[in-house]
Amino acid sequence: MARVLIADDASFMRQMIREIIEPEGHEVVGEATNGIEAVDLYNELSPDLVTMDIVMPKRSGIDAVKAILAEHPTATVVMCSALGQETLVMEALQAGAKDFIVKPFKPESVVATLAKVIEKGD
Amino acid sequence: MGLDMAKYRRIFLEEAADHLGEISHSLLQLEKELASVDAIDTIFRMAHSIKSMAASLGYDSVADLAHRMEDRMEHVRTAGRVRSQGELALLFRCLETLEAMVEAVASEQDPPLAEEALLAELAEEPDGGGDLTQAAQAAQEAQTERSAPTPDSPERVGGEPKKARS
Repeated sequence: MARVLIADDASFMRQMIREIIEPEGHEVVGEATNGIEAVDLYNELSPDLVTMDIVMPKRSGIDAVKAILAEHPTATVVMCSALGQETLVMEALQAGAKDFIVKPFKPESVVATLAKVIEKGD
Repeated sequence: MGLDMAKYRRIFLEEAADHLGEISHSLLQLEKELASVDAIDTIFRMAHSIKSMAASLGYDSVADLAHRMEDRMEHVRTAGRVRSQGELALLFRCLETLEAMVEAVASEQDPPLAEEALLAELAEEPDGGGDLTQAAQAAQEAQTERSAPTPDSPERVGGEPKKARS
């Protein structure tokens, strides 16, 4: 089970991810509402995994994942993408994000993706 | 695995109201300054967020309109400015339609479909087609080459908008 940081500017999405992953035994250790907070909270909390939205204020999820991986090359980051963001997802994966989940979230798919990247990281 | 969708509907109504308020505020800002980076970025993010929430709840007409508005704002962001008063008016119409859709959800009704004309206009190139700044510059250069420059370069080039993309 993993200690998870959720980064998304929408409370709606943060709550939904939390509700999907907590019954699976994961612990949500923090929530970030923008890219700057995501980087700061990563440094503070050292989570096992981050779910990172792409479109966020102040600093985008793409910039945030690059900043986190520059400092922590083994960080496990899963991008949260939406329709029409294929290019940005590719950029994030090339920067070192481990995988992505697609909105609207399908709970089973979110759980399976997180399980996959956690297993690979062990 | 079942989520409490009634809870998310309530959150959607709260957040959508906030987001629409921010879009409204930003559009008023754009009325004063068509190139306001903050306003353009805010509208893009708010439309994106409404799209994701609506799609999660199955409000397809809301998600579709918000998605098209987000796409239009991506073009605006690339251009660095809202390219005409017509484009600004189009964005105001999107806002009004989204407000009506969210009101319907609040009244426990299915959100209505957006008007076809609005969706078609969103898919069109901006007034006159292409980047108006570049077009105006090209027209000015052409006038210069004819050695008969006029003091005012045209603000709008071309007449009818291009046909809607397929």
